[in-house]
Amino acid sequence: MQETLHQEARSDSPYTTKREYQTREVDIGSLKKASGDTVQPRLDGVDHTARPTWKLRETIEFYRDILGLPLVHTISARGWGDPGHPDFLHFFFDAGKGATIAFFYYIGSDLTEKYMPEDHHFYSATHTAWSVPTAEELQCWKTTLEARGLTVSPYTRHEILESIYFRDPNGYPIEITLRLRDVEVIDELDAKLTLEAAIQVEDELRTKGDRLRDIDTVWRRKAKLVEEFIGER
Amino acid sequence: MVVLYVLDVKEFLPIVETARKISDWTVSKSDKGYYRISSPTEIVLNRKAMKMKPAVWYGLFTGGMNGEIAEFGREEVRVIGTNRAL
Repeated sequence: MQETLHQEARSDSPYTTKREYQTREVDIGSLKKASGDTVQPRLDGVDHTARPTWKLRETIEFYRDILGLPLVHTISARGWGDPGHPDFLHFFFDAGKGATIAFFYYIGSDLTEKYMPEDHHFYSATHTAWSVPTAEELQCWKTTLEARGLTVSPYTRHEILESIYFRDPNGYPIEITLRLRDVEVIDELDAKLTLEAAIQVEDELRTKGDRLRDIDTVWRRKAKLVEEFIGER
Repeated sequence: MVVLYVLDVKEFLPIVETARKISDWTVSKSDKGYYRISSPTEIVLNRKAMKMKPAVWYGLFTGGMNGEIAEFGREEVRVIGTNRAL
């Protein structure tokens, strides 16, 4: 099976010819839904996350020597595929359960403005939260990293997660999180109703030439949906 | 009249526990996972009294709210009745 996939890739490289998967806009309306299909492929956790870096030494020293995550794999290659693709290093640090934190270092390239770190929630939204199994482990990360001189956020308790946050030398936000409880069937149902409420009010306001401006509007529509759901009307 | 719906999960149960202590408010539980809290006038909740962390506090009404938020501060929220359609 693996060899078959490889042969297909070799005979017609998607990096050079069939680039539509990278360039074509995704039009939801033209796609078939999973619910109308008889096949459902499954995912099985994280293999790796990847981000670019322009700080080779600092990134390796931070992840390997400060965080203490083993460097487990490095690819070093001539640039290929896209015209002008620089030669590069692609390296991976062990993040547990087979997952890795990966970086690309594009040799001879300069950081562009678009990739400069910002102190803004739009920027911080792109992050990966790495899990720990126990509260003791979360506490151990916080105290250990602080003892190693890093600035770490206070503990932040979300609904089902408790997290700490810090940044790497690239400015990338990192979250370490503890799952406080399992998600239950009612969580899934509630999630569906909240987003259904949001989609409904957003669609209605857009039709009127307006836009969704606050969460209160969602909460009010949610009340309507929950009322209908539990039959309180 | 103000109505809140609260999902039956431990993060939000302090709202239900608070509501049960206030004689004017009515608390009922559906078998579909939501509490319904109603008040004839307004609903006022205090974050520290409920021992809630900010990240949960600011999502307090995610279960659904029939009313209008008159004030939403870091420590106290006040929801009043409204005739606006949901």
